[in-house]
This record gives sequence, structure tokens and C-alpha cells, in this order.
Amino acid sequence: MIRSKFIGGLKPVLFTLPAMIPFTVFWLGPLLYVLYLSFNEWDFMSPEKTFVGLDNYINLFSNPAFYQALRVTALFCAGTVIPVIVIGLGLALLMNKKLKGSAIYQVLLFSPWVTPTVAVSIVWSWIYEPEIGLANTVLSFLGFEKLGWLQDPTWALVGVILVTIWKSVGWAMIFYLVALRNVPADLMEAADLDGANPVHKFIRITLPLISPTTLFLFIVQLIQALQAYDQINVLTQGGPAGSTRTLLYMYYQSAFESFQIGEASSIAMTLVFICMLLSLLSVIFSSRNTHY
Amino acid sequence: MSILSHIGKLSRHLFFAALALIMAFPFYWMITNALKTNDEIWQSPPTLWPQTPLWGNFAEAWHAAPFSRYMGNSIIVATSIVLIQMFNSGMMAYALTHMKFRLKGLFSGIILFGYMVPATAVYLPSYLVLSQLGLLNSYAGLILSNCVSVFSIFLIRQAFLQVPHELVEAGEVDGASHMRILWTIIVPIARSSFAVLALITFIDQYNNYFWPTLITKDPSLQLVSAGLRSFFVEGGAYGLKWPLIMAASAFTIAPLLLVFLVAQKTIMSSVNMTAGSSKG
Repeated sequence: MIRSKFIGGLKPVLFTLPAMIPFTVFWLGPLLYVLYLSFNEWDFMSPEKTFVGLDNYINLFSNPAFYQALRVTALFCAGTVIPVIVIGLGLALLMNKKLKGSAIYQVLLFSPWVTPTVAVSIVWSWIYEPEIGLANTVLSFLGFEKLGWLQDPTWALVGVILVTIWKSVGWAMIFYLVALRNVPADLMEAADLDGANPVHKFIRITLPLISPTTLFLFIVQLIQALQAYDQINVLTQGGPAGSTRTLLYMYYQSAFESFQIGEASSIAMTLVFICMLLSLLSVIFSSRNTHY
Repeated sequence: MSILSHIGKLSRHLFFAALALIMAFPFYWMITNALKTNDEIWQSPPTLWPQTPLWGNFAEAWHAAPFSRYMGNSIIVATSIVLIQMFNSGMMAYALTHMKFRLKGLFSGIILFGYMVPATAVYLPSYLVLSQLGLLNSYAGLILSNCVSVFSIFLIRQAFLQVPHELVEAGEVDGASHMRILWTIIVPIARSSFAVLALITFIDQYNNYFWPTLITKDPSLQLVSAGLRSFFVEGGAYGLKWPLIMAASAFTIAPLLLVFLVAQKTIMSSVNMTAGSSKG
């Protein structure tokens, strides 16, 4: 009896092991490990790690390159997340009213999302080619001056941001289309009877009802933006002059190019902290403003 | 009024047609530039369609680097990961939704926490763990280190929550084991979520780049994105062979666009489910 009760209690745990073991080995364990490494100085090669306390953090927070990376990260996040959400919602609103053949548009707008970022970034690096690339051809056709795009510190980040928006905007649109379809029609009709104008209806009814989708897209896009690597690696490698070096890219360079494990680990922990803080903040903000 | 709504409809059509054209244009540009000669591709203004399309560029690019190997690697690794994730996400989600145990709250909390931690932040320590395990530069390393996904667990958990617990109880009364109940009763009901898991995970892993390049330095183990990137840097020598680079990009992208066209309904329905799983 005792034995069967024991097995009964053990069985559910057995069911979780195929997921929990790799999760612990490749996620939870490494997370604790990187926290530990951030208090040490190490170069990968030497057998000894030197405990340095908070030195890595102190050095990081007094390093101008860190603040540049922080600024680039903030610009990149704001520059991708906000347009993706706003444009995605705008397109979904335009498409939501009956439009025959909109399935074709949906497929075309969604398709960049399934393609490998590396491959499409290579295509875009050809589009951004300064001499005869498509982007500059179009610009000069429209009467604007040609831009240096990826070679120009003021425009390189814009170039990377454009590719990122291009890739995710159709994806966000589909999310909003689903959300808009779930807005009850009788609610809208009732508002019509009350003589509400479209802007009013949108702000008072639609926007609150789709706010869970907005929250979801915001968090997912934000976490993705904080971790963007592929397009930066192909298009600019953090350059020119660090103008596209995000925190994540700085982390990659200090870990796998200059082997400063301590510094890299402190950047990693900063990233984790930022991610969790922003996720928590948006959940708190939305629990005040979200209406299910 | 009806004329007005017709004009509205027409202008919306025009708008979306133009937008779709712009969004799809990089793909068109990739294919037409893949067909040009090295001289023509540098012509200004660029030609919209090549003077004489060189279809042989595709074959030449295909043989210029071991692309069949790269693609094979991507397919093997992605398929293995899909199968393992279907298995362990199913087990985990079943335990979390239809079994009672003490650590349930803790495990759910840990998984939720994993949702918020950026995976890339742990790449450095994971790399060290893999090297300790002697799994760098191996298929096993590529597969095992990606074999659990918080997203997949959430997705399946959400689907299992919809399955009435009475079905599980009925199975238990009939003397079926939990394994049997899970795989013969619950999974078939949630098959559309498993289809979404399989497709999304396959696409993600096929395209995966950052992590695989860190843990495999051996060219024969490279996935297709990494292979394409090294062709771009080395074989293509940065801009000397743009038509071939475009051709290689095209056949890297093509299988995914094909998968997407065939399974677009399932892939787009993932949106429904992921939006749902975030609420639970």
C-alpha cells in the first residue's frame, strides 16, 4: 500500500523528466552558472577562475561602450517593436472588413516570417549595396540623395531595423486579425445604436478587447528584439563604429571573440535582468488596463 | 452609398496589392538577380528582368559549396528535435494538466520563468556545459541542447487543458496506464496543436543559426543558414559573385516557402493557439 502510494507520487515526476532534465542541464543550470561566472575573471584557457566580486559589473557600468550598446538596444527595440505592433494593427483593421481575396495578401505579407533570417539578410545586404543597390536606385529615382546604408553609422541601424520590421509585420497582422474577429459584433451594433463614431468605438471597445494580443505581441517582440543576432551578424556585425552593436552583440563579442568570460557573463545577467523587468512591468501595466 | 463602398473596397484592394508587391519584392529581386551575369548585375540602372536568364547559376551555386550536406544537416537536426519535443512536451503537459503531484506548482513556475529569460543569455554557460559533456561538434549536441522548448510545452499544455479530465478518469477505470491514456486518448484529440508544434519547431530549427554556429565549427556539421553565410563570406568573397549568392539564398529559402504554402492554414492557425497559450 505504501509502495503503491509512493509510485503514484513518483509517476507524475517521471512524466516531467524528459523535459525537466534537458531544461535543467541546458537552461536552469547554465543560468546559475553564468551568474557565478559574472563574479569571476576567466579567459576560457587558464585552469583557474579568479573571484573578483562585483568588479565585472563595476567595470561594465563604467564602460562607455556599454552605454552605447544600451542606447543601440533601446533604439532597436523601440524601432522594431512599436512599428511592428502599430502597422500590424493598422493593416489588420484595414483587412478586417470583408475583403475578397484577402487570403492572398495575408499569405504574401506573412511569408517573410517563415524564411531564414540569414538568407533574407543576405538578400537585403545586396538591396542596400551603396552603388547600384535597389534601395539607392529607388531613392535616386524619387529624387532623394543616395545613402550609405550599412556603411554609414547614422543609417546602419535603420537598415537593420527595416529588415526586422519587414520580417515580422505580417506575423503581427495575423495575430490582430484573429483578435479582431473575436470582438463580438453585437457590442459594435449596440455602440452604433448609441451613435458612437468609429474613432470612439475603436478607442473604447476594440482597443481594450484586443489588449491581451497587444500585450502578448509586445512581450514576444521585445524579447526577440533584445536577442536579435542573425540580421546584425550578416548585415553589419555590430558596426560601423559600434552603431549597430546591441547588448546581445556585445555579449557575443566579449564571450566568443575576446574571451572575457567575466565581462560577458555580467552583460548576460544585465540582459536577463532587463528582460524580466520589462516583462514584469508590462504584465503589471496590463493587469491594470487589460480587459478580458 | 454603394458606389462609395465600392470605391472604398477598390482602394483597399489597390493598397494591399501594392503593399504585398513591395513586401514580396525582395524575393523577386533575389530570383531575378540570381539569373544575371556578373556584368549585368552591376549595371546601372538595374534591369528588372535579366537579358538572358542564366538558369545554370542555380546548379553552379549548388555545387560551389556542399549545400546538399548543409540542407541534410538542417533536416536531420530539425526533424529529430521535432520528434523529441513532441514526446517531452506531451509528457510534461500531461503531468501538468491531468496528474496531481507536489512539485507541480514549482515546475510550472520554473517553466514560466524560462519563458521570460532570453535563451541567448545562457549561450555562453551552455557552451561550457556542452564542452564538459564532450558534445561540441556533434549532432547529439545540436539536437540535445535544443530538445526542450518552453513554447512547445505551453502550446500543448493549453491544448490539454481543453480535454475533459473525465476522459482520463474513464481510462483509469478501464485499467489503462497513464502512458496509454496520454498517447491513445489525449494526443489524438490535441493533434492540431501537435501539428502546429511540429511545423513551427521545424521552421525554427531549420533556420537556426546563432547557437549552431557557436557549437559546431566543423563545416560538415553546419546547418543551412551557417553554410550559406560562410559561402557568402568565403566562396562569394563579399560581392564578387552576387548572382551565385542570390541563387544560393534562393534555394535556401525555397523549401521553407514551399512548406509554408502547403501548410499555411496550420502555420497561421498557430497564431490562434500561441495567443491562447500566453493567457493560460
